[in-house]
Amino acid sequence: MRKSSSRHGHGLLHRGGVGLVWLLAVFNVGVLAWMGLAALRDHTAIFAEPWSLSSFGEFGNFAKAWSDSGFGAAALNTVLLVTGSAVVLVAISAPAAYALARSGTRVSGAMALFFALGIGIPVQVIVIPLFVMLENIGLVNSLTGLFILYVALSLPFTVFLLTAFFGSLPEEVEEAAAIDGAGPLRTFLQISLPLARGGLITALILNAIGLWNETFIALVFVQDTELQTLPLALLGFMQTQQYSGADYGALFAGVCILVLPMLALYVWLGRRIVEGMTLGAVK
Amino acid sequence: MAVASATAVAGRRVRRAQASAAPLTPLARRRRALFWPFIAPALALYLVFFVGPVLASVWISFHRWDGVGALEPRGVQNYEILLDDSTFLDSFANTMLILVVVGVATFAVSFALTMVLREMRGRKFVRAVLFFPYIVSPVVLSVLWGFLFRSPEGLLTTLWTGVTGNTPNWLGDNLFTVICIGLIWVNTGFFTTIIMAGVDRIPADLYEDSALAGATAWQRFRHITLPLTWDVVATAAVIWTISSLKIFEFIYAFGGTTNDMPTVDVWNSALFIYGSTFGGRNPQYQFGYASASAVVMLLVVGVLVVLLRRVMRRAQIQF
Repeated sequence: MRKSSSRHGHGLLHRGGVGLVWLLAVFNVGVLAWMGLAALRDHTAIFAEPWSLSSFGEFGNFAKAWSDSGFGAAALNTVLLVTGSAVVLVAISAPAAYALARSGTRVSGAMALFFALGIGIPVQVIVIPLFVMLENIGLVNSLTGLFILYVALSLPFTVFLLTAFFGSLPEEVEEAAAIDGAGPLRTFLQISLPLARGGLITALILNAIGLWNETFIALVFVQDTELQTLPLALLGFMQTQQYSGADYGALFAGVCILVLPMLALYVWLGRRIVEGMTLGAVK
Repeated sequence: MAVASATAVAGRRVRRAQASAAPLTPLARRRRALFWPFIAPALALYLVFFVGPVLASVWISFHRWDGVGALEPRGVQNYEILLDDSTFLDSFANTMLILVVVGVATFAVSFALTMVLREMRGRKFVRAVLFFPYIVSPVVLSVLWGFLFRSPEGLLTTLWTGVTGNTPNWLGDNLFTVICIGLIWVNTGFFTTIIMAGVDRIPADLYEDSALAGATAWQRFRHITLPLTWDVVATAAVIWTISSLKIFEFIYAFGGTTNDMPTVDVWNSALFIYGSTFGGRNPQYQFGYASASAVVMLLVVGVLVVLLRRVMRRAQIQF
């Protein structure tokens, strides 16, 4: 269809393309909206008439997911883990990135590349030694262990991102501060960090998103239901349905608990998120 | 995901940093004293949680080990068994299939979307909508995607039944295809955004001139868009390679309510490692064997990234 229309010139092809693109956008919005609506419907109704709105108004689905299926406890775990890890991550990465961006020596150049290599290592490749290591110090099946892993495993990306941000800041202000007698540590804390605020916030948000959705590490390192994070709660909820009977209404309520905070964040800070995520490729 | 962003540019940036090494100001000299204290915490964590484990994985791969008892040396035997293990070979083939087929399809769709989005109203809104799945948990996406294709009550299945009259069993008969299309759906928004940023840098008069000269849409794409976005595409290809090998949750969650991993037909290398160690109803704990497949995976990432950068390197076009 697209091929034949191209002979009729730009207009028709373009209009067809625009139609398809809007269809795709409507599809995405539609799936999201359907998920929200299904979360308020009864299980049998969802399966009998997926396209209708019968039995709408089952607010009990959310209560069921939140308390009976452990999404409430998981949400608390996740919020604590995500904020804690993201803040500590940025606190550790910022000085390192500043040193890498500002030193301009051969060592710092090689070191920046050395850190960047970590971005290319799939976590599945190192999960076995990590597991043995944490088991030996008693940190498997603990939120502390998960916290340490989250900080360590997100370091390469965060250092990379922040090195780019510090590198893009003008150096003149720092030089002026030095001439005024500020030491290098004070210059970093009082001049460079505030100047790089935008980058630090972006790093915080991107890590928060990544860790909010993180599943693999949690899956390997956490076994207790009380310690599970939101993605684990969702996986666990699906698995228990094998015995307790399927309830897709409550399942979609659980899905909403995972997605809606991300949607809110995206509506609020979408541009910053998209720019931060694609920064490496387009610069 | 985004955590994959651009090892590719690091090299470029490093070289730039070195070139700018100016004569030392007093500030720079004092700053140097802080270099090691500043990077020490990050470096220590990086060495302990990345570099050490990578080396340990290589070491463990030459042993038989259940993670509890003593390591039992067995040379390259693990690697030899891998080459005969049809589960491993199929997972590896799936990984490559996702890398190449899903990758090419994603880039093709992203380019097509870019060309349409460039000249349409509401482009920013549409782009934002298409990007959104990229920041949603892959487990959630997998649940939703699975429900679209469920038989007989899935949203797309019921539509299909309404139009054609028959009820296909997509998840049963073509699960891997469904997964691949889902991966294209998830990733397209991200890569469209990257490619669009590249296309936006192309001066509009190049398109106007070529339109006056009577170039078709395809000719404009082939001779203007593609060459002038090549460096962006090359970087995006490296990002895709790295992130495609990390894909796990989207496939894993198709195990759904079975309380087990999904069928081995749809495993990729990441699922293979999980399946031969911690995963499934009866975990295998074959740490040595799984480590061997992990080392293979790491080698594949390394070789592919180097190859890609070599093949896609081209003279920079100034414009």
